[in-house]
Amino acid sequence: MSLPPHRVDYSPIIERPPIKWPNGERVALWIAPNVEHYEYMPVKYGPRDPWPRTPYPDVQQYSYRDYGNRVGFWRMLEVLDQHKIRACVSLNLAVLEHFPEIRDAMVERDWDFMSHGIYNTRYLYAYTEEEEREFYRDNIDTLKRETGKQLKGMLGPAISGTVRTPDLMAEAGLIYHTDWMHDDQPVPINVESGKLVSVPYSIELNDSPLFRVNYEADYFAEICKRQFDQLYKEGAESGRVMCIALHPFLIGQPHRIKYLDEILSYIMSHDGVWQTTADDIAEYYIENYYDQAVDHAQQFKA
Amino acid sequence: MPAKRRQGMDHEHHEWSPISTRGKLNWPNNARVALCVIVTLEHAEWEPPEGSFSADQAGGLGLRPFPDYPRFSHREYGHRVGIFRVLDTLERLGIKATVAMDAQTAEGYPYLVKHCLDRGCEIIAHGVSGSQMISGDMSIEEEADFIRSSMDAMKKATGSAPRGWFGTDYGESERTPDLLRKAGIDYLCDWVNDEQPYPMADGLVALPTMLEMDDVFAMSNRRVEIERYAQSLKDCFDIMYQDGEDNGRLLAINLHPWLVGQPFRIGYLEEALAHIMGHDGVWSASGSEIIDWFNNNPPA
Repeated sequence: MSLPPHRVDYSPIIERPPIKWPNGERVALWIAPNVEHYEYMPVKYGPRDPWPRTPYPDVQQYSYRDYGNRVGFWRMLEVLDQHKIRACVSLNLAVLEHFPEIRDAMVERDWDFMSHGIYNTRYLYAYTEEEEREFYRDNIDTLKRETGKQLKGMLGPAISGTVRTPDLMAEAGLIYHTDWMHDDQPVPINVESGKLVSVPYSIELNDSPLFRVNYEADYFAEICKRQFDQLYKEGAESGRVMCIALHPFLIGQPHRIKYLDEILSYIMSHDGVWQTTADDIAEYYIENYYDQAVDHAQQFKA
Repeated sequence: MPAKRRQGMDHEHHEWSPISTRGKLNWPNNARVALCVIVTLEHAEWEPPEGSFSADQAGGLGLRPFPDYPRFSHREYGHRVGIFRVLDTLERLGIKATVAMDAQTAEGYPYLVKHCLDRGCEIIAHGVSGSQMISGDMSIEEEADFIRSSMDAMKKATGSAPRGWFGTDYGESERTPDLLRKAGIDYLCDWVNDEQPYPMADGLVALPTMLEMDDVFAMSNRRVEIERYAQSLKDCFDIMYQDGEDNGRLLAINLHPWLVGQPFRIGYLEEALAHIMGHDGVWSASGSEIIDWFNNNPPA
């Protein structure tokens, strides 16, 4: 028996058959810029208030985030380009419609596109089953129309979801979900139809929770390097995933950007790094390890 | 009103404009960075009027029941002690101060008004008091009255109408930029989304400040230590200075004397600002000087 919500079979990492990445790399590194738009006058729908500081609008918090699209994104892009990073954007899909220059910059670089919902002020919590089905149709259609790409995965809008989310994602043809912070490797997620896996995202190596409080970017650089060192060591035995989550309105601030350069310089100077995307990690894992992982987990059932 | 999914912003206050697509902004003497230091003087009310709204997150001991002596008097420290320390520091470094002052300060502290004017500071409007902000819950009449009472008090105290507006706690309703323009305001500091001035509707100009460099946001809300704050200020400037070679940058910093004017903090501020002023190609200017230059020399 798995524990509630019965989506994930328990599987201790030390007992698993090793994972070998495509060219024997130790660490699959994916960089996830969260390219977002927060509405000026959102409609509160469900339990979370998009702008809790004040009655709407909250010009301070709205324009702070808008800074990311006007300025921060472009500064971040320069650093990602210097290190030849092919990012996997966590994208509020409406950005493609509102800000075509950002769309074009991402398409030109052949990034992969992971859904992060339509707007970061529209959460899934209160969605009915039918509303959520329609939401995935909208996500898939919008990405296809604006970029020609096929949507494969999602980090829920502002990391929100419903209890049905994995089933409905799989039903819509998505193959990965990154809301799960439970592992250093991809893991099968139990769904009613199809195959869905979690790809490790990070709520730790993530500029948003860090810079909301008193951490600063020198600390961010230090923990990213430490995280990499440990995963790199362990990855000699069995491949690991490392994600660095970014938000252009935070990491693209002038006082922070040099630390992103420091992080990427350090990691990319190592051999044995598969700089990839969540799309590619999910596909590779499903192709090579999904069935094995499901079988292997049977022995740990209580 | 939820956003409409179409190209551009989801409001009418300004256009969408990514910095990567803009023409070059040339500052006077080819400066790379225009430095605008805003010193905010806001009076904390003993008893704010019923129904008024504040987003003050307090710092220190946090919000406490009435009567909150420590919070009230902590703010008052800025008016009695901190302001002089901050203005002295700026003066030593040759930095012009733009003072954002609320109506209750203008009315209740004539000494400070005269002091700021004598030192050559530009004074801009900052609402009514530090304990009341404009919010979307105000009716249009309430908001227009609020703006009028602030503008009238400033005009009476300083002898001239303020050209700039900086909302208490960055407070606005959907109507605020429009009402401010109608009240005669030329530039607005509430929108923190850029590193250059930019046009807003009806001839209003945005003078965006760097929210992360706001001492209250950094040290009171986020609780960054003063040493790290000073380092961030230097790091921030260094990158703006680098980027400013290709396209001029604006570094607008909002400081509160009750916080950064504390004896243990002021030295760190001075060190960071000295780092900035130690570079060629820095134009220290008031808000009005920056906006006038921007209007007369639009990016090309």
